[in-house]
Amino acid sequence: MTDTPLISLVDVTKTYHLESGDFTALNHVSLDIKENDFVAIMGPSGSGKSTMMNQLGILDVPTTGELYIDGKNVAKMTNLERTHLRRDAIGYIFQKFYLIPLLSAYENVEYPLILKYKKRDTTGRASSLLDAVGIDREMAFHRPNQLSGGQQQRVAIARALVNDPKILLCDEPTGNLDRKTGFAIMEILCNLQKEGKTVILVTHDPKVAEYAQRTIHLDDGRIVES
Amino acid sequence: MIGDIFFQLSVRSVKLNFTRSILASIGIVIGVVAISCMGMLGTNMSLQVEDQLSSSANTIVITADAVRMGPPGSQSSSSTEESGIKKTQLNKIKAAVGTNGTVIPIYSSSTQFTYGNVPARGTIYGMNPDDVTEFLTIGNGTNIAGINEALIGYTLAESLGVKIGDKIKISSASEGPPDGSTSASRASVKVVGIIDTRGTVADSVSTDNGIVVTKEWYVAQYGSKDVYDQVNVIVDDTDMITEIEEAIDAKLNTDEKTPAVRISDASSQLDTISSTLETLTLFCLAIGGISLIVAAVSIFNVMMMSVNERIQEIGILLSIGTETGEVRRMFLYEAFILGIIGAGIGGLMSVVIGYSVVDVMMGTTEFFFLPASIIYVPAGMVVGLVVCVISGLYPAWKASNMDPIDALRSD
Repeated sequence: MTDTPLISLVDVTKTYHLESGDFTALNHVSLDIKENDFVAIMGPSGSGKSTMMNQLGILDVPTTGELYIDGKNVAKMTNLERTHLRRDAIGYIFQKFYLIPLLSAYENVEYPLILKYKKRDTTGRASSLLDAVGIDREMAFHRPNQLSGGQQQRVAIARALVNDPKILLCDEPTGNLDRKTGFAIMEILCNLQKEGKTVILVTHDPKVAEYAQRTIHLDDGRIVES
Repeated sequence: MIGDIFFQLSVRSVKLNFTRSILASIGIVIGVVAISCMGMLGTNMSLQVEDQLSSSANTIVITADAVRMGPPGSQSSSSTEESGIKKTQLNKIKAAVGTNGTVIPIYSSSTQFTYGNVPARGTIYGMNPDDVTEFLTIGNGTNIAGINEALIGYTLAESLGVKIGDKIKISSASEGPPDGSTSASRASVKVVGIIDTRGTVADSVSTDNGIVVTKEWYVAQYGSKDVYDQVNVIVDDTDMITEIEEAIDAKLNTDEKTPAVRISDASSQLDTISSTLETLTLFCLAIGGISLIVAAVSIFNVMMMSVNERIQEIGILLSIGTETGEVRRMFLYEAFILGIIGAGIGGLMSVVIGYSVVDVMMGTTEFFFLPASIIYVPAGMVVGLVVCVISGLYPAWKASNMDPIDALRSD
């Protein structure tokens, strides 16, 4: 582990050009996140949380300013390089789980491995991760619509971890779960952070944010508290 | 490809929307069947004509280059002076051919027959009885010998119900009233034999709907003695056809600007007929192609529906690191699967329907399984498949170029 930030936003602005006029979702935001940090991003609706997550997840690029992930300037990467960085260095956990409906739980977890190695998983990594998040072998062959919300989120966590990414981006990971299941999921995320992952989560829930070592408050596209 | 996760996703997507996929594939089935059947029908027709013409491939046909303007036997018409091959020309032909073939002078005219009270039209041929068996096959009865004897074509005999020993009245004028009440004299001939079916032949002697009489009887009825309508040369060695044609041409067509005779053989007729059939087949294929265009629109529509229904799934795929090319591949696989279903069913149906159509329209399927004919089945399948994949190009491109953020937000 070094002191060099794993993620660095340098004066990042994101402006959307809408018919009603330009809308600035992130306004000159600068932020460093170090390896193994557990960061919660909070803020009211429209404060720029999702835009920041899209930037951190390299789903979007800044209008101005620079974003560095693992020392690489995202703006200078090709689309394919960004796709590969997304696949290898970042694990996504979404509020709505976003599992692939046509694949079984096991295949959903195996999918990022296939993307990376261009072949089916023969190492047993997908199965062991499903075991680790509490999905048994029988459940692993169910399609997402045959699983409960908590089970789907566990599968999503296993999928996010399968390529051993450095960063876990969690967008309201407990938002669609009951309180008990939500806390169980948060325990898993805490353990992952303890194992060395950098966890960044967006939440409205202060109880969830309490799990983080550091909380960043956004308002009107600016960091108001860090 | 089968082990490819994207192929499996495509298979599952097709299965999920099975009815819609099958309905879309029906368009391809129709297109493949249309193209294959039209192609096979045209090819079978060409092959049949080729086969029939090949039976007279060793025959050179020589006709007068001038067009006959008046009825045969009309001695007063000056236009008939150059209307046939004259005896001097016949002798030159014989000299040119020498011992390399048999020269058969033939009189012919379109005329009216009457059997009982039933009138019919057809062609009457006058020739030397010895020449008849050189190129005609008498299936039933004997060859003509006496002056009042005749051979009748199989089709005409069947349509009139004529049997051996029956008598047929033949009008001596080439053009009679439709009701057969011509005032011209009507001579009778006795049918002594029935000529086998010849079909389409290159030697211009279509006896299926005609009658063959002795040249003496013909001249007695129609005049034009020693002015033949055509001269056929049956050569012993087909490799010598060109050489003999050139020799005849050199002897008879001394004036290049106004050739006296027209010389043709099976190859030139085959070229003409094949070219006509080829044009006809192409036209039919184009009609079949229109059904494939309709099918392409249907596949395009289904693929666009598939893309629109799976926007969020596309967003998930892209956000977790799927390359745009992989998303494109997934949708092209889907179009390919629809094509395989359509082309597969279409191919099988083409064989069954094509066989039936060829059998009904041509009366024979002897050429159906020849490579030149059956090739239209795989060709139609390939065209159907390619059309399907092409129809999937834009939807696949659209899917792969979606913004993952917008796609994920889609519900």
